Amino acid sequence: MKNKQKLRTWSSLAIVLVLMLIVSACGGGNNGSNNTGSNTTNNSSTTDNTAATNDTSNANATTNDTTDNAATTDNAAASGGTVEITVWDQPNPDDTMKSIKEEVYADFETANPGIKVKHELMPQGTNDREVFVTAMAGGNGPDAYHAAHFPIIADWVGQGLALDLTPYWDSYEDKDKFIASSMQAGTIDGKVYGIPHDMYVTGLFWNKKMFEAAGLDRDTPPANWDQLVEFGQKLTNTSKKQYGITLLGMEWADWWFEYYVWQAGGDLTHVNDDGTVQLAFTEDPSIKALQFYKDLKWKYKIVQNNVLQSYQDNMNDIFQGRAAMSNAASGGFGDYVAQGMDLNDVGFAPYPVGPGGKGPGQIGGAYWIINPKTSKEKQDAAWKYITYMNSKEVAEKYLTWQQDNGIFPNLLSVRSDVDPSQFAKDISPELVAAVNKAASDTHLEYFLKERLTPYVVKAVQKALTDEKSDPKQLLQEAQDAAQKEVVDAYNASVKK
Amino acid sequence: MKTAIDAQQQPRVKVRAQNGFRLKINWTGIAFLTPAVVCFLLFKYYPLIQAVYMSFFDYKVINPPGKFVWLDNYKYLYHSTEFWNAFKNTFAFFFIYFVLTFWVPIVQAVLLNEIKFASKTLRSLYLLPTAVPAVAGYLLWKWLYNPDYGLLNYLLHFIGLGPYGWLNDPATAKWSIVLPGVFATGMGMLIYYSALQGIPSENIEAAKIDGAGPWRRMRSIVFPSLKFIIGIQFISFICGVFLTFDPMYIMTGGGPANSTRTLSMLVFNSSFKEFRFGVAGSISFVMFIIIAIITYVQIKVSNRD
Repeated sequence: MKNKQKLRTWSSLAIVLVLMLIVSACGGGNNGSNNTGSNTTNNSSTTDNTAATNDTSNANATTNDTTDNAATTDNAAASGGTVEITVWDQPNPDDTMKSIKEEVYADFETANPGIKVKHELMPQGTNDREVFVTAMAGGNGPDAYHAAHFPIIADWVGQGLALDLTPYWDSYEDKDKFIASSMQAGTIDGKVYGIPHDMYVTGLFWNKKMFEAAGLDRDTPPANWDQLVEFGQKLTNTSKKQYGITLLGMEWADWWFEYYVWQAGGDLTHVNDDGTVQLAFTEDPSIKALQFYKDLKWKYKIVQNNVLQSYQDNMNDIFQGRAAMSNAASGGFGDYVAQGMDLNDVGFAPYPVGPGGKGPGQIGGAYWIINPKTSKEKQDAAWKYITYMNSKEVAEKYLTWQQDNGIFPNLLSVRSDVDPSQFAKDISPELVAAVNKAASDTHLEYFLKERLTPYVVKAVQKALTDEKSDPKQLLQEAQDAAQKEVVDAYNASVKK
Repeated sequence: MKTAIDAQQQPRVKVRAQNGFRLKINWTGIAFLTPAVVCFLLFKYYPLIQAVYMSFFDYKVINPPGKFVWLDNYKYLYHSTEFWNAFKNTFAFFFIYFVLTFWVPIVQAVLLNEIKFASKTLRSLYLLPTAVPAVAGYLLWKWLYNPDYGLLNYLLHFIGLGPYGWLNDPATAKWSIVLPGVFATGMGMLIYYSALQGIPSENIEAAKIDGAGPWRRMRSIVFPSLKFIIGIQFISFICGVFLTFDPMYIMTGGGPANSTRTLSMLVFNSSFKEFRFGVAGSISFVMFIIIAIITYVQIKVSNRD
């Protein structure tokens, strides 16, 4: 009797679970089928709507297979010919550039009466990437988004979060005005998915005042690894809690470490011609780089004690004159000034070269992308908005405003016909030349970074926290695990 | 009298079932329960079932569900060093939290129950830290642990100790993350204290007259009375520890060398950093199974006692 009752209880539970699984499956499936349904009907009606609302050359963009025709029709009907798009670019109340941004937004709507842009603040969340992906998954993503970071855009494209912009791009009259390196990460398999919103190049920062105080030439940065160590030792003064160069050892440890691998003449991954990935953790340059990284901490003792401190703590050490050298980005000089540093004491140069004879800067930044799930009409409007925001006129308007208000600009522009250095008061020609020099030899972050980070970071952190660790062994372990758990599956998916 | 009581009772509908039993449906009770049950099903069970469903796919958030991969995500976990490392770390945290924090509110409540002087003030002082937002508390502790400028090393240097890299050393990072939990026991203490207040004072007095000392009274009267609450708190403790995310995320980001990366962090990273939502779903389901098994065993043991 008791067993019978138990059986009945478990059967009921199993039935409920199965039912819920079915309900859940139906929920997921519906999304998919709705999409398919709308895909089928969308393209036929796109032409009708485009003529009414857009005058650009984007009729070519009908290849998009994920747009939603029903939404297009509804929108057009509801707004009487005006397309409304949502963009997460509302300035924060304390944004110093709030007034100029709002002015530019108003100018856009004046110039494009058929488009209404709903500027929204990005919803709160753990980080911008999580918020964007969650919103997109829930169907609440913006129509255009300007923070698809260089290292992540490929993953987002793989997830279907970014529209193929090639048809728009091909007929974009300003396409030749964007510098080649700015398009590199956003162009995947020959297709353009992102239009550069902003970019930066990294290089070596040094505090000229601290160099002078340590008996070094204030205008001469270290040219190679040997000099980096030599200078670092002169600049390190434990009694003053002052040290030579910052390391980044926290959960982004692979970010700065990869620069050392490049300086040693290698990279952490190689992309083969067929699109598959080959790990290079155990290649000689990677091992040399980790050994050097470890030596900076344990042998030469020229880095911060707290090697796992946050990025912001590193920046604070720079601002407060505790770190003499660090990584810097071309877009960050304004922060130094805002934190009370004299720009005449700020040095910037390409990285010291390592055994590989190179010291390339990292190109980073973010792209504008368009929501592939929104209607064709909105995609067209979003494209117009993006191209307006990326126009020479708007870029120069922002730079002029920054100049008038004493804000130091990002010295690297995504457009070749915009020269930010012309819009900065009393800017040292030496600094501009250094940024241009750093930008002349650049490198993108290693491929598949988002997935491989835990493996590389583990090895780097172990080297920085365990004096007896063997870099070669650490990298071998990292490579073995990453190969088995990430790369094999990735390569298999590429080959399919 | 009977009529008056009936009038006060909630409306009921009597239904005669086929087998002759009379079913009484308490509609007021159902009305009160429905929102909670619906929310519970919607926000607890539906995500769980959805996670299980996702775990069978190479899940695509934009065009769900993606390719059906059957048990591949679970096979991946079985072979993943990341998963087993996080698994071990989660159990290590469970052990450390148990050793350092689980008993603290019990002791606090017992002491508070014994101390009559300024007990209200002490109760308030115990509860006050719960008003500090957890994230702010973790950031504060992160600063206290700073090897260069942290207060802890600064104080230790006066007695000739340190500096220590509290969060930088894989050997101490876990303990350092758990330590703030020792001081954040306010709500647990209050629950135990309430239970202690429910013990009839006559029982304690009678035990005293019979010559039972404090330890004997504790063993024979206080702890048996608290057993049920301790059981409930333990289940809540297990869930809390297995699902904990904030302290590791804020204080170490899972480092150094992945020594503080737990299963819940792995779920977050798998989904939002690596876009492997199917894998994240399978980890979530494994976590659910582990918690369910421990809870089931705990309940069985409690019932047997």
